[in-house]
Amino acid sequence: MIDRTILEVKNFDVDYGFGEGAVRAVSDVSFSLGASKVLGVAGESGSGKSTLVYGLTRLLRAPGVIVGGEVNFHLSSESAVRTFDILAANEEEIRKIRWSHISIVLQSALSALNPLRRIGREFDEVLRTHDDALSKKQRQERSEELLALVGLRPDRLKRFPHELSGGQRQRIMIAMALALRPELVIMDEPTTALDVVTQREIVSELAELRRQLGFAMIFITHDLSLLVELADDIMVMYAGQIVERAPAQELHDAPRHPYTLGLMNSFPPLHGTRVELQGIPGSPPDLKALPTGCPFSPRCDFAMDKCHQERPPLTLDAGTEHSVACWLHDPSFTGSVPVQLTKRAPQRAGGSR
Amino acid sequence: MTQVQAGQTLLEAKGLSKSFTVKSEGGLFSKRKAVAAVEGVDVSLRAGKILAVVGESGSGKSVLARLLSRIVAPSAGELILNGEVVDLKAHRDLAYAGQVQLVLQDPFAAMNPVRRVGHSLERPLLIHGTPEEQVGPRAHEILESVSLTPPQQYLDRYPHELSGGQLQRINIARALAVDPKVLLADEPISMLDVSVRLGILNLLRSLCDDRNLAIMYITHDIASARYIADEVVVMYAGQIVERSSDTSLIDSPQHPYTQLLIASVPDPSAHGGVAVKAPSGASAAFNIEGCRFSPRCPQALEVCKTNEPPMFEVAPGQTARCWLHATEAQRASVSISDKPIN
Amino acid sequence: MKNFQVPRSPKVIFGLAGLALFILLTIVGPWLAPYDPSFSGFLPNVAPSWKHLLGTTGQGQDVFSQLLVGCRSTMVVGFIAGFVATVISIVIGVASGYLGGKADEGLSVLSNVFLAIPGLPLLIVLNSYLPTGQQTNPLVIGFVIALTGWAWGARVLRAQTLSLRDRDFVEAARIIGEKRGRIMFGEIGPNLLPILTSSLLFTILYSVGVYTTLAFLGLTNVSTWNWGTMLYWAQSSNAGLANEWWWIGPPGIMIALIGTSLALINFGIDEFINPRLRAGGISAKARRKSGAPRRPRLGMTPVLRVTSKAGPTND
Repeated sequence: MIDRTILEVKNFDVDYGFGEGAVRAVSDVSFSLGASKVLGVAGESGSGKSTLVYGLTRLLRAPGVIVGGEVNFHLSSESAVRTFDILAANEEEIRKIRWSHISIVLQSALSALNPLRRIGREFDEVLRTHDDALSKKQRQERSEELLALVGLRPDRLKRFPHELSGGQRQRIMIAMALALRPELVIMDEPTTALDVVTQREIVSELAELRRQLGFAMIFITHDLSLLVELADDIMVMYAGQIVERAPAQELHDAPRHPYTLGLMNSFPPLHGTRVELQGIPGSPPDLKALPTGCPFSPRCDFAMDKCHQERPPLTLDAGTEHSVACWLHDPSFTGSVPVQLTKRAPQRAGGSR
Repeated sequence: MTQVQAGQTLLEAKGLSKSFTVKSEGGLFSKRKAVAAVEGVDVSLRAGKILAVVGESGSGKSVLARLLSRIVAPSAGELILNGEVVDLKAHRDLAYAGQVQLVLQDPFAAMNPVRRVGHSLERPLLIHGTPEEQVGPRAHEILESVSLTPPQQYLDRYPHELSGGQLQRINIARALAVDPKVLLADEPISMLDVSVRLGILNLLRSLCDDRNLAIMYITHDIASARYIADEVVVMYAGQIVERSSDTSLIDSPQHPYTQLLIASVPDPSAHGGVAVKAPSGASAAFNIEGCRFSPRCPQALEVCKTNEPPMFEVAPGQTARCWLHATEAQRASVSISDKPIN
Repeated sequence: MKNFQVPRSPKVIFGLAGLALFILLTIVGPWLAPYDPSFSGFLPNVAPSWKHLLGTTGQGQDVFSQLLVGCRSTMVVGFIAGFVATVISIVIGVASGYLGGKADEGLSVLSNVFLAIPGLPLLIVLNSYLPTGQQTNPLVIGFVIALTGWAWGARVLRAQTLSLRDRDFVEAARIIGEKRGRIMFGEIGPNLLPILTSSLLFTILYSVGVYTTLAFLGLTNVSTWNWGTMLYWAQSSNAGLANEWWWIGPPGIMIALIGTSLALINFGIDEFINPRLRAGGISAKARRKSGAPRRPRLGMTPVLRVTSKAGPTND
């Protein structure tokens, strides 16, 4: 496992539409991802999590437009590391890195796979497009290898997508995404449409595959509890902005942003005494009509006057890996932070993950 | 209208079954075979109580809801409403619709997109006899009871102008408009944003308590079932495999499927994830003899392969459809040996 | 459509303007006409002049007056036929789509039969059975044309109804206790408006064309003035051969214009029928101003600002 940064994003902005009617879907997002790490992106409707990730790879559909920022991938190629500025690249250059270095697993495998084609043909096409050196027989062998990687029998290659279950289709999407041994795999809600048992199987398999192949992963989902198990770091998004980022366990044990706290409390526990929980009052933000100041302020239990006037920047807590965009945690705030947001993460044996 | 006592059984299903004929794999001329989407289900819905039906897709839980609301006719079984047997051969009549209502999963799809919300809320009132001049005030009242204020603002909007959470409240309001005794909710929160889900669950709970409704809450999310349910039932492949008269089956599951389900739920406090390896193949369950879960069950016995187990009591108020909880004698009386096969 | 929004698309505006013009002509045409169209005392075959804006026919009649008066007959029959055919197609199409089973089978057979029978010959036959007095009655002709024109719309509506029938909101209406008829026409119906309007416009155009054809073939009363009759007279006097473009041209152009207007409206119809689409799209002007590509390719999300020179660099 190499220890370097594989993706650097600075002040990334994405709009839907142009001119006056444009809606900012991703606003001033900056983050970085280390090779072989798992970054979880959590958020609900209007959070911009999918827009962010599709924008980063320039797969965003019209009327999406990138309007600001820098996105640099640091990819290894023939034992050197090359920096790839995807926003300045042309189509040919992007095609070279797509799938061979960065691949993506879409939310609904059923709509991503061509229903009129057998699975084997899809694999064959992917391999042929990106590596013409392989013979047909080699492609066949490679396809079978890939299926075995995700626990499927080779005879599945002969099937059509509709003949397979949701879990099997999703596994095939994962196998296709890994076909060229990419360094980064992006997963957009890959298990949302699956039942919890299948989800558990797929998540375990992903963990195993990462151990074997060492790729980095960006995992998008609304299921924060899943991310706590799966991710190294979690980024919480709201109304197109990052509101908090921290190592997974720390985010769970000691959330600092009121939205993160509210989100954590929106998952009723499976064990322990039953208490009434509240979730978060109000509705998800309307990106066309965001309030001034912090976008979460209308729904925040702890909002102050400043929150309604000025948008808090994402600030890193010096010496830690925890960043929050909240005036309560800003150095300028002199009052006392509410006790729910000041929990300290318990020391775990063996240090942090 | 007679007063409803808390705990009184309002709607009961006995031996409810529904089969569909499907073509088996084999192309154009394959034989048709019957697939039992729901088989031999007994449920009782009691006033002031929420019954959670937990299951994955394919378990038959949604078909069960449609059977109980009589949108779909059963292949076998009996329905008893307010103590009277329902004539299942006759069409579903307005009176039944006025007693048993169903809320669907997708709040956007459940509303006519080219009609304002007011229209969708007025129709049930008008159909069930509210005089015209009272329709407006009643609509306002109902929206207030689901915490949507000011009501007129919502009545004037089109569905696409509202959020999922608001629309689902309106769907619930629409079901309440007919003043039913029984409310069936088919995965009412699974398509909503996480932060609004609890609001809807809390709403269902308070409606149940305030109006003495009998609510059946269908879900695949067992944690939400634990949050609001009084009684829980787990379905697998069309059958009820475990049942408890409180939520104890979640704290101490006895059926291997329930155990698998609970072990699979993401648990943030167990960092690192526990790999649970179980062979998949839920669709194969419909075809086999014996226990439907046996192909996937890590503890299956010989008898499980050949004989379908009945429900056995595993704890006070808790039953499981599993040979593991039968006595030696009970197993012996149906089949051969006891050696585990998986 | 309680709040009617002014359509923004230039196509629709032109189309509506054209249609409005024709409707206006239908109402005031005969009044505006300078002469009696049947009066044949003028100098025949005269090219357009100030006295006769579109010249005269071979029989010495004023073409312009014929055109204006003929508008009414053509449009009235066309619209009646269009509306009647659409009403029939709604009833049969929606019922067969929603009810399914035997009703669907029966109604589908009916639609298919009417689709398969060639329209014009059937019309000619039906027309010949009409008593001569009725042959000029626009209502009657309209009904007869409608009889051959409903089947296509019915099939389209049936297909659309079938797809709507499985939607959740239809199920929700059934759950509430709504009766079948109300569901069909109260819930599914409004969702059919875009396709219905499109079908109506198309059927009107079809009816105008068919009526004109019948008249052109001399099968309707040739003394009633409509554009088809004008063409009949022009053809039988070999106006084309004699290069009398002012006589043979205008009726055809009028039909082309009404057709274009209806087609233009069709393009923009979705926008002001469907409340969701009304919420506003991205106008072409804004896009051009911002510099974004007209048709961004999939996989190349446009980046709208100046960046440094391209490409991977070696570290």
